[in-house]
Amino acid sequence: MSKAPDVILLVDDDAAVRNALKFSLEMEGFSVRLYPTPEDLLAEHDLPTAGCLVIDYRMPEIDGLELVERLRRRGVTLPVLLISGRVTRSLRDRAFGLGITDVLEKPLSDLAGSIRRVLDDGP
Amino acid sequence: MSETSIALALEAAEARLRSILQTVPDAMVIIDEQGRIESLSTTAERLFGYEADEACGRNVSLLMPSPYREQHDAYIGRYLETGERRIIGIGRIVVGQRKDGTTFPMHLTVGELRTGDRHHFTGFIRDLTDQQITEDRLKELQSEVTHMSRFTALGEMASTLAHEINQPLTAISNYLKGSRRLLERMEGENVEMLRDAVAKAADQALRAGQIIRRLREFVARGESERRIESLPKLIEDASTLALVGAREHGILVTFRLDPAADLVLADRIQIQQVLVNLMRNAIEVMSEGGAVRRLDIATSAGPDEQVEVTVADTGAGLAPEVAKQLFQPFVTTKRKGMGLGLSICRTIVEAHGGKIWVDSPPGGGTIFHFTLRAAADDRETDDA
Ligand SMILES: Nc1ncnc2c1ncn2[C@@H]1O[C@H](COP(=O)(O)OP(=O)(O)OP(=O)(O)O)[C@@H](O)[C@H]1O
Ligand SMILES: [Mg+2]
Repeated sequence: MSKAPDVILLVDDDAAVRNALKFSLEMEGFSVRLYPTPEDLLAEHDLPTAGCLVIDYRMPEIDGLELVERLRRRGVTLPVLLISGRVTRSLRDRAFGLGITDVLEKPLSDLAGSIRRVLDDGP
Repeated sequence: MSETSIALALEAAEARLRSILQTVPDAMVIIDEQGRIESLSTTAERLFGYEADEACGRNVSLLMPSPYREQHDAYIGRYLETGERRIIGIGRIVVGQRKDGTTFPMHLTVGELRTGDRHHFTGFIRDLTDQQITEDRLKELQSEVTHMSRFTALGEMASTLAHEINQPLTAISNYLKGSRRLLERMEGENVEMLRDAVAKAADQALRAGQIIRRLREFVARGESERRIESLPKLIEDASTLALVGAREHGILVTFRLDPAADLVLADRIQIQQVLVNLMRNAIEVMSEGGAVRRLDIATSAGPDEQVEVTVADTGAGLAPEVAKQLFQPFVTTKRKGMGLGLSICRTIVEAHGGKIWVDSPPGGGTIFHFTLRAAADDRETDDA
């Protein structure tokens, strides 16, 4: 049986960042779904079983880490890449504590490469 | 000596003491070895708001807020037993409490006096809110904390700037990256030139990213230095700084410190900045108005090796327009505010592995909470 296609679910509150990442990832051959807020992703009923989550850390209401915590509690096991304008050691530690695969600092010159690595070592 | 001459000598000595107590410019309190007040100088009466008559015979803990109040008898007891000096002959900054319940930072020096086999202690007190603050330690604290807070404010601004600029840079470099892929599939006489231009633009976007990163590294040089610190001491020092001027606003300050929340792993100056920022905000909001003005600072030992600190006020509460983004930089309702205080608090607390949040209790006012990691109780010997 062939694998379900890999879908990238991207959550970022900045519209320009969201659209630019979608553009560059689609040019790399990925299928991308965008969510402007964590609530939008949490309201999504039809989460894919294969693929990867790309989540911005700094968002106004619920931050990226809290979003990941909530998703894990719901049993969502998709691998997560956390992206942030600023990556500190304590952010990294907390992210790895939640089982996040990697933490990437903007401006993200090779997000597609990181995603491919995640999907290749996938379960 | 005859009995009458002894009595006369005693009377003369007492008269001399009285005249000293009336004229010494310092506030002076004499207590016996049970901690009972024996006499008060005129300046001390004025400072604490008690008449000598009503204070004499009562325990000196009357003149201090919790938790010192509860601990004072034990301090005297320990000194009499072990001779270990913590304050006698040394002098330090402590918090005093007036009859009306308000508290203030004061410099206390204690001397010891023996008559026969009885001990008396004399306390010399300088009110640090009243006079020009000349106390070395206070100055030192102040310069450390204000210097560092300027540094932290700069760091906070640089990091906000970095964050804000990184957003459009992310968009730019990813649009360019996608365009490059697209151009790889295209043909035509200008495509080659376009590819080259796009690649060069992408390089420049990355260069801008590098500059931002370097700016941030530059301000992050003052990396935090975490040590085992006494939380009550951090709070004492921070309130000494923050409460200067609180008296004019008639603010009652209470401390409720959990003895189980003692040692924490912290960068002393950074955590003092957090405390000072929170206390300053509380004082600022309460000096705007309100009949009850009460600042309450409390600690508690929580689960998971965490301690929690709360700073609660009875001010007007959070303005709805700032409530949602309180911890973001440059959010302020104050004419002279920079809106950096709370974002600095968040940066520092999170770098310590803690959390900071706010509550608006139904009765009004605002409560800020933050957590710190407790340190195991095997501190290397510290000063007494
Ligand atoms: N205890 C409080 N009660 C009510 N509002 C508060 C309290 N603490 C903070 N605020 C609100 O949050 C805003 C942001 O506080 P913050 O400390 O970050 O900045 P600031 O006090 O305005 O300026 P700065 O601290 O840089 O001088 C304040 O302007 C005020 O509106
Ligand atoms: Mg402030």
